[in-house]
Amino acid sequence: MAPAGNFESLQAALDNGADSVYFGVEQLNMRARSNINFGLNDLQEVAERCRAKNVRTYLTLNTIIYDHDLSLVKTLLNAAKAAEITAVIAMDQAVIAYARQIGMEVHISTQINITNIETVKFYALFADTMVLSRELSLRQIQKITDRIEKENVRGPSGNLVEIEIFGHGALCMAVSGKCYLSLHAHNSSANRGACKQNCRKKYTVIDQDTGFEIALDNEYMMSPKDLCTLDFLDQVIAAGAKVLKIEGRGRAPEYVAKVIKTYREAIDAHYKGTYDQVKVAHWMEELKKVYNRGFWSGYYLGQKLGEWSNVDGSKATQKKVYLGKGQHYFPKAKIGEFKIEAYDLNIGDTVLITGPTTGAKEFVLTQMLVNDEKKEKATKNDSCTIPLDFRIRPSDKLYKIVKNP
Amino acid sequence: MVVVTLQRKKCIGCNYCVELAPAFFQMARNDGKSVLLHSVEKKGFHTFKSADDASYTPCKEAQKACPVKIISTKLV
Repeated sequence: MAPAGNFESLQAALDNGADSVYFGVEQLNMRARSNINFGLNDLQEVAERCRAKNVRTYLTLNTIIYDHDLSLVKTLLNAAKAAEITAVIAMDQAVIAYARQIGMEVHISTQINITNIETVKFYALFADTMVLSRELSLRQIQKITDRIEKENVRGPSGNLVEIEIFGHGALCMAVSGKCYLSLHAHNSSANRGACKQNCRKKYTVIDQDTGFEIALDNEYMMSPKDLCTLDFLDQVIAAGAKVLKIEGRGRAPEYVAKVIKTYREAIDAHYKGTYDQVKVAHWMEELKKVYNRGFWSGYYLGQKLGEWSNVDGSKATQKKVYLGKGQHYFPKAKIGEFKIEAYDLNIGDTVLITGPTTGAKEFVLTQMLVNDEKKEKATKNDSCTIPLDFRIRPSDKLYKIVKNP
Repeated sequence: MVVVTLQRKKCIGCNYCVELAPAFFQMARNDGKSVLLHSVEKKGFHTFKSADDASYTPCKEAQKACPVKIISTKLV
């Protein structure tokens, strides 16, 4: 299950083998800021693109809901129902109740913090899929999935309740994301999707009386590393989780492309019986190329609490550098034309093309023409043409991937 | 004169401005975003001008509290 903060990421998820995508529309979701959300008018297109690939669509509507939000809740759910969005991911009972009323499938958000089978049974009255608390161990998850089967716990659709868990991406120090730190420090509520991520910063501890500062071995005392389950995916699947959620609606499209592609390969390999440590090592290197704070296994393996990050931002081993814009695509010749606006492009470079319809496409450059001549290098203001088996557009951006020092 | 502006489109509907300056802000029923009362819209910026300087304090409080920083309050 892939995150889609915009059309670029949505397309990247579709192109790299996601089974389902989740996204926010307007402000009532855990990434409320408008630049990582869709508008009501986008809903139809999101649904159509996903339907064409037989990918399920989930609308996140999982913040705290106040009275003044109720009308928007109804507007969003009615629009989602009309666009045939598969389900809504909900926390507030008002959202759950209205979705059921109009016959829309409900998934229970991790914000509800389900940690036991009785709670699963309770929410089975309303929901077919439930995201468990991020803080459970695989053993605890297995117990829940076993009992769903044994006790025949079915949702409104008549099918057995499916369990979804977080598979990859940012974790935070708060239980199931229910955190007040950002609200208290910046009036910016995480539970309304406006988390300011104070926990990701460096802190010191000072005795106010004497000014004595306690020595810390890690000043990022509240910033956990990112969750990664790839290296024990066989155990995750064995625990009975049916849906693996990839976090990251605020991440770049190439992040979505890379992470989805990697997990797709790993899951497929597991079912083919070819999942092994050599492959895992390769996949882990792939995952390290994109945004990460270092990886840990979360709470799933149940040993120790909290592994803390030691960086402010990402530890990604690669970064992208902006080169230029798409100009034109010649469909018969299958050639894309780009205008270089910064830096330089060389044969042998790994390039990335992103755009709202193109998604995120990465490949090694083997040939190009620069201002209609065969050359090894293109620089600023050059026009260069590259053979491409996919269409590019003027809204597309061209990057090259370089090592992150 | 006090000039208050609101970039309404970016509002996440947290309700802080209404709590702090109920005489100037209200939550809209239809889309759950804040409305700056008696304001005029131009290119997404909703502006309200008040001859009464007493408008300044509550609107400034709302500005300070706004998590997405879309309110501006100026004494001119």
